[in-house]
Amino acid sequence: MSAAYQHLALSEVKPGMILSDELLDKQGQVLLPKGAVLNAKTIALLPGHGISVLAVVRDDSADSAALPDPSALEHRVAVLFRKNELDNHDDWATGILRRYVTDYRLGREIEE
Amino acid sequence: MSTIVLDDIVSKLQDLPSLPAVVMELLSSIDQEDVDISVLAKKVSHDQALTAKTLRLANSSLYGLQVKVTTIQQAITFLGFQTTRNLITAAAVTGCFAQGQCPGFDDKAFWRHSIASAACCKVLARRMRFNQDYAFTAGLLHDIGRLVLVSSFTAQYQQVMEYRKANDCYVREAEQAVMGVDHVVAGMALAEHWNFSDTMKMAISYHHDPDAPGAGLLATIVHVANAIVHALDIAGEEDDLVPAVSSAAWTALGLNEEAYLHVFRETELQFEEITLVLMG
Repeated sequence: MSAAYQHLALSEVKPGMILSDELLDKQGQVLLPKGAVLNAKTIALLPGHGISVLAVVRDDSADSAALPDPSALEHRVAVLFRKNELDNHDDWATGILRRYVTDYRLGREIEE
Repeated sequence: MSTIVLDDIVSKLQDLPSLPAVVMELLSSIDQEDVDISVLAKKVSHDQALTAKTLRLANSSLYGLQVKVTTIQQAITFLGFQTTRNLITAAAVTGCFAQGQCPGFDDKAFWRHSIASAACCKVLARRMRFNQDYAFTAGLLHDIGRLVLVSSFTAQYQQVMEYRKANDCYVREAEQAVMGVDHVVAGMALAEHWNFSDTMKMAISYHHDPDAPGAGLLATIVHVANAIVHALDIAGEEDDLVPAVSSAAWTALGLNEEAYLHVFRETELQFEEITLVLMG
């Protein structure tokens, strides 16, 4: 894939960003595969492997490298789920899907 | 407003582009194990475009092959007959309908939705220990009736899309309101005409109604995958709409949030890759 990428300092990397290339440590071992979606936990572990700069996929839809803000993401989910009435208990499965997708979009961590 | 009946659809099916004979053969025999593989491999090899697309799919990271396959026979050796058959079908069906003939109907968005559904069905099927190949093909073809309606009743379908926009309703409701039939009926007619296996017919027929008696697990998988793909916003349609998820179907899959988050991610990743091959 020739998608545009950019190098970011670790402090600028945010959850939800996607690796544009394999991430190798100093010994050349693969830490993460190309295309991996970064989450907060992974990012926190990277300094321990001597990583300070990452190549991530540039998001062309947004002007900056930052993710769209959470309220915009939540708004989009609400638009997609506009036929789901949150207080309709017969429609609970749709409500759960909505919650999961919201968590996914916001890159929330799940208790394992 | 003119109403269309099943007979009208059936009489128009003759005018639809037909699939390569070998693909028809594959589709009708999808749940048979005792098909002569070498003969089929040879037949497919005569169609170069189909072969090329199939091999590119086989070599994509979806299947994690260590070697690059260069012939259909090799693909069968490494991936198995079921999976290869599935790839050939996907490659054939996505190239079969003319595009851009109905204003208001976005063919690209249609295929994005279908391919993402195929990927999601495959991912869900793996978790459910259900046959991943059936699931992939069922996901890819579940809405194929829409293309039948678009191709055969283009003017009416344009009205359907306008009605949908004006009323912000589901496509199926708009189809029923404007045409008197919907893509499920049209899909079943095509499934008969193209001689799909019973498994595929059930999935097409019941994907909006997985609670119906006898609908089966595949219809349940397609139903949930369809909702997930709408929710993930993959088709890229501004006014996309997530359908109601059947509580019974959701319960039948019995997956927890962690599982679903993986399903979402895998669906998006696989979608990217398959799209590059099939739509590229």
